[in-house]
Amino acid sequence: MITQILRRIVTMAMTLLVISALVFIIIKLPPGDYLTNRIMELRATGDASSVAKAELLIQQYGLDRPVWQQYLMWIGVMPGSVGFSGLLQGDWGWSFEYDKPVADVVGDALWLTLLINLTAVVFVHLVAIPAAIYSATHRNTAGDAVVTLLGYVGLAVPGFLLALILLFYANRWFGLSIGGLYDSALTNQPWTWEKIRSLLAHLIVPTLVIGLGGTAAMIRRMRANLLDELAKPYTVTARAKGLPPLQALLKYPFRMSLNPFVADIGNLLPHLVSGSVLVSLVLSLPTVGPLLLEALRNQDQFMAGFILMFVAALTLVGMLISDLILVWLDPRIRMGLR
Amino acid sequence: MSVRDIRNGTPAPLPDRGERDTTVSRRALLAGLGATLTWSRAPSRAFADTPPDAPGPPTTPYLADLAAHGRRLGTRGGTIRTLIAKARDVRYLSVYGYSRLIGYDADLNLRPDVLERVDVEGGRFTFTLRQGHRWSDGHPFTTEDFRYYWEDVANEKALNPDGPPTFFRVDGKLPQVEFLDPVTVRYSWDRPNPMFLPALAAPRDPLIYRPSHYLKPFHARYIGKDAADAKAKALKLRGWAALHNRLDDNYELNNPDCPTLQGWVPRTRSPATRFRFERNRSYHRVDTAGTQLPYVDTIVMDVASQGLLVAKTNAGEADLMFRGLSMPDIPSLKEGEAAHRYRTNLWPVARGSEIALYPNLTTADPAWRQLNRDVRYRHALSLAIDRRTLNNTLLFGLGTEGNDTIVSDSALFEPEMRTLNAGYDPAQAAKLLDAVGLTGRDGSGTRMLPGGQPLEIVVESDGEAEMVLDALQLITEFWREIGIRLITKPQERTNLHRRSIGGLTVMVAAQGLDLAVPTAIMPPTELSPAQPEHYSWPLWSMNVESRGKSGEPCDIPEVRRLLDLDRQWRDTDDAGKQAAIWREMLMNHAHNTWVIGTVAGALQPVVGAERLINLPKRALYSWDPTAMIGVQRLDELFWDSGADKRAEVR
Amino acid sequence: MNRPAMNGVRPASGHFVDPAPFEPESRPESPVATASAWRLILRKFLRHRLAVASALILLALYATVPFVEQLAPYGQARRNGDFLYAPPQGVHLFHEGRFVGPFVYPYRAHLDLDTFRRDYKVDASAPQPLRFLCRGDGYDWLGLVHADLHFVCPPKNGTLFLLGTDKLGRDLFSRMIYGARISLTIGLVGVAISFTLGLFFGGVAGYFGGLVDAAVQRLIEVIRSLPELPLWLALSAALPPNWSPLLIFFGITVILGLLDWPGLARAVRGKLLALREEDFVQAAELMGASPTRVIGRHLIPNFMSHLIASATLSIPTMILGETALSFLGLGLRPPVTSWGVLLNEAQNLAAVQLYPWLLLPVLPVLVTVLAFNFMGDGLRDAADPYH
Repeated sequence: MITQILRRIVTMAMTLLVISALVFIIIKLPPGDYLTNRIMELRATGDASSVAKAELLIQQYGLDRPVWQQYLMWIGVMPGSVGFSGLLQGDWGWSFEYDKPVADVVGDALWLTLLINLTAVVFVHLVAIPAAIYSATHRNTAGDAVVTLLGYVGLAVPGFLLALILLFYANRWFGLSIGGLYDSALTNQPWTWEKIRSLLAHLIVPTLVIGLGGTAAMIRRMRANLLDELAKPYTVTARAKGLPPLQALLKYPFRMSLNPFVADIGNLLPHLVSGSVLVSLVLSLPTVGPLLLEALRNQDQFMAGFILMFVAALTLVGMLISDLILVWLDPRIRMGLR
Repeated sequence: MSVRDIRNGTPAPLPDRGERDTTVSRRALLAGLGATLTWSRAPSRAFADTPPDAPGPPTTPYLADLAAHGRRLGTRGGTIRTLIAKARDVRYLSVYGYSRLIGYDADLNLRPDVLERVDVEGGRFTFTLRQGHRWSDGHPFTTEDFRYYWEDVANEKALNPDGPPTFFRVDGKLPQVEFLDPVTVRYSWDRPNPMFLPALAAPRDPLIYRPSHYLKPFHARYIGKDAADAKAKALKLRGWAALHNRLDDNYELNNPDCPTLQGWVPRTRSPATRFRFERNRSYHRVDTAGTQLPYVDTIVMDVASQGLLVAKTNAGEADLMFRGLSMPDIPSLKEGEAAHRYRTNLWPVARGSEIALYPNLTTADPAWRQLNRDVRYRHALSLAIDRRTLNNTLLFGLGTEGNDTIVSDSALFEPEMRTLNAGYDPAQAAKLLDAVGLTGRDGSGTRMLPGGQPLEIVVESDGEAEMVLDALQLITEFWREIGIRLITKPQERTNLHRRSIGGLTVMVAAQGLDLAVPTAIMPPTELSPAQPEHYSWPLWSMNVESRGKSGEPCDIPEVRRLLDLDRQWRDTDDAGKQAAIWREMLMNHAHNTWVIGTVAGALQPVVGAERLINLPKRALYSWDPTAMIGVQRLDELFWDSGADKRAEVR
Repeated sequence: MNRPAMNGVRPASGHFVDPAPFEPESRPESPVATASAWRLILRKFLRHRLAVASALILLALYATVPFVEQLAPYGQARRNGDFLYAPPQGVHLFHEGRFVGPFVYPYRAHLDLDTFRRDYKVDASAPQPLRFLCRGDGYDWLGLVHADLHFVCPPKNGTLFLLGTDKLGRDLFSRMIYGARISLTIGLVGVAISFTLGLFFGGVAGYFGGLVDAAVQRLIEVIRSLPELPLWLALSAALPPNWSPLLIFFGITVILGLLDWPGLARAVRGKLLALREEDFVQAAELMGASPTRVIGRHLIPNFMSHLIASATLSIPTMILGETALSFLGLGLRPPVTSWGVLLNEAQNLAAVQLYPWLLLPVLPVLVTVLAFNFMGDGLRDAADPYH
């Protein structure tokens, strides 16, 4: 078991290495880089002093070197202008756009992303599980159809549009300030009850919008799993024994139907980051999504690279953890054979 | 002095502290180019609330005569909330905050602002600072700050590899700079330098002075390179120059520690979603009642995504808002006025043309190059545009139709500049095209180039400008009438620049002339290849900028004439001659249609809360020269605290 | 799924008798010919009423794709300069109690310079009958034939804005019909690409196993651990800037397809791993069949139905992906018209507040995505006819 885990960790490290190369290639795919683009723009506006500043940075960050050298410097196996300083040494790089170390810029945003997405995940489960149980036990009834339909409507309406509409009416009808995580007047203030309330109120729209997209898929899978379990002989037996219907449902079939979700923990993360980008963009939420988008657009390479690597690493760890849980839940599953 | 001291707001005691008691007897002396104002009454009461060790206005402040502009004297206090689309945009406060050494007033006359006086004799510019003027942290503002900029920033290779900016060069030569005493500095060239003062008044302040007391502890020359580099390393920066650049921050407004002369001092470090600015208590402007400006204590900028700016303004979440709003937003903004007690003021935008087409005279393809250089072809394209329809569709019919030229508010304006070769006459256009030799047509009725390929103009544009894309859609229809197919190609902005410089564009659609309310003393650079980047002749511009090292030399006599005129403008400080040069250049443009203008005169919504006083209902809006709303003086806005107080002020 | 067992759960049903006639070939033990399996699938699918309805809707939608030009009352780029932001125009049948056939009342436009809005007054005195099978805006049908025949045209000297107009006075209904062409095909083309890739990688991994499997697994892992957004961004930024709108369109579909295959590949691999242990595969191998033959002839037909079902379910993802890309300004851009482009134009306060009809392009997206999902569900249920 231990050797298996160790082996997994080694392959994980290799995968991360491959991902890092891939990420760097992706970021460098569009022509040019942040600073040369910026210099071009500054030239156009005749801003000579800023041009000088930007040219200085190009040399310092080695953007004038070949891409492979930049890559090696970024991951920290080749000395840059201040010696070895890259991801391996814990230097996450420099954000040109913000003119700050990446770590400073991303720090808070990571937490907020986690908060918003966790709320959305909780919401999805709270809505989807009862809905799926209902629709599985009332299969092919009108109720089943309505639940499924509602779930799918959430999936089918583009989130960015829904977000804007909800935002507008939340403001018109409930006086909720538009966008952001809380009323902007409370921005730099301590966490009072009022601020928490404002935060909760502002979380409703993003939760709904991010969550609705995932609910349909969840209902569908949960319903299918439950139906499979309900059809198995042990359920029949339980019923035959005269177990009360609710108990007969929750005791085994429900538990078993949860299994596949554990397998999915790892995949949840990149999905959530992508999924919340558009919504965060529309709702002006300070999550990593918009930061990543902006960084990719501006070719703020170290910033984009770090966020992508971070998400990738989390995903891999998530996959490992979900595998471990699965093995622990069901000993029939062997490590490495998923 | 270390960074920490300043941040805690406890500057070291100043040597000139004794002067503070003499504020009552100070004298306002406003000389130089502007009109002299007379002093009305002693501003003693206004400073009663300033603690004795706090910074204060200069002994000889700038006296803002609000009544002369039909404005009300205000009271201090309150907060203005505004919105920005990204954290970087806080820097625009240094544009529309508009405090300059010398700047434009609302009538676009140059007047000393931070400086007490400016004396110009030929190529000799003598600047006199205000007595007792202080930085926002209380340190004296002296010619040492000018010297520091000149010797240790502009001419320091590590900070500015190319040396001082171009407006300091006359025939490539730098001025002789003398620091005569703590309040007098002199820049001398052999010949007049008409570029100099307009550059100082530009929307982007060149800041030819820096807070030396604050920056010296980080400069290699003052503490040694090793010590300076060590400080940078401690902050994970590579080299002292990077740290110096970062701390020296009177434009980006990201460093609350950096002292400033502007009306408001940044108080928030990025990253943040709300940025706060507090009034500079050393600010140099005082109203006639003796109240130090700015009236408003705090400016707050909330970051909201671009798509939400209108919605938030509409919901009353901003007290003052203009950047990020545009003409199509007016109906939405008007809708929220009553419910949220704000006013949507509509300011005419001073821009040559909202959408202009730039045929690239230096494009790489020889066939297109020849065509673009044919004046009959350019005239035909211009005559085939139904500008009335564009106006009705895009600008509610309120715009001005015609060439890309200056607006009628400018004293240099002549009606022909806008109307020449800019009527709607498709028949004449078709005749001109036939005359050029584009007579053959293909099956769909599109004219053919001599080589046999269809006359299919790929117009590239900056994909972010929605109005340009809409206009192109209409122009596609107009040109189809005369047998020309237009293909719109939205590009990423940087990509467009790159293709333009590479000579790959055939035609570009973008906004027109930026400086569209010029006075004679403002440089006409934009009208000739002296402009570093211009979509009509990118390669010639490159050639001029690199002094012949790259690009191509200009080979069209009419454009060379433009270059000559630009040169002549730079050689003289005679406003009469300069005005004549401006007119000739503009008429040259009207005759030759180097740029095909369409409609001008969009309206910029400037939203202001109802109780926010002194915001004009209507004024010109532009980047250069008005610095957005800058020349209308943000520091004179104030909150009307109610009817009773209003009586008191009167 | 699992119908007989389900029936068994219900004690009320008591003695189970299948009302359907007894068909020996449907017995699980004897999947004699593939043809009969397909027929079973069809039969089972047809029993799924929602799925069948969805399939019909989709069929109808896709049937419009070649005839967009004829169905739209106006040409794609046709502006009506006097009718900017006109609200939807109702089609009436009775004028003053008298039947006149389908007609519209004309609009009187007026620009209010206080609110900066255009008011449209309906002139209910002058009904304007619609024209059918009529001559309207010209077009090049399929790029070949120049024609001007339309199914329905605006009245003479009148207008027909079934769903209102946009900022340039273009008829939204016509634009939605034109948008359907691109949005509907983007899903199909994208899925075709992802299907091919998924089959290839999944097949290779599942059949050969070992080192090949490990390599493909890593590849899938890598692709899945990256959020799709940066990949979209980077790939669409890498599209050459001088491509024509049509090429860009294909570029976008390829991108969507390139990123969608890992899910399918995993499904293929899983199925193959299970199937290759089956006796009939061993038998084929012992008889000297090549790997290509074994995969192609024996394995793939075995789970093709499953694959088609999952592919159907990923088409809506692609359609939504296109709207998202357009929203980010990375996908198709005007003057190309797709549902995503239309939705992007509606993405502002004014649309929600003042011109709500601009939000209507969300409806076809909704209908299509729902229909594909229901049909996919039905297919998947039907895909295993032996259960």
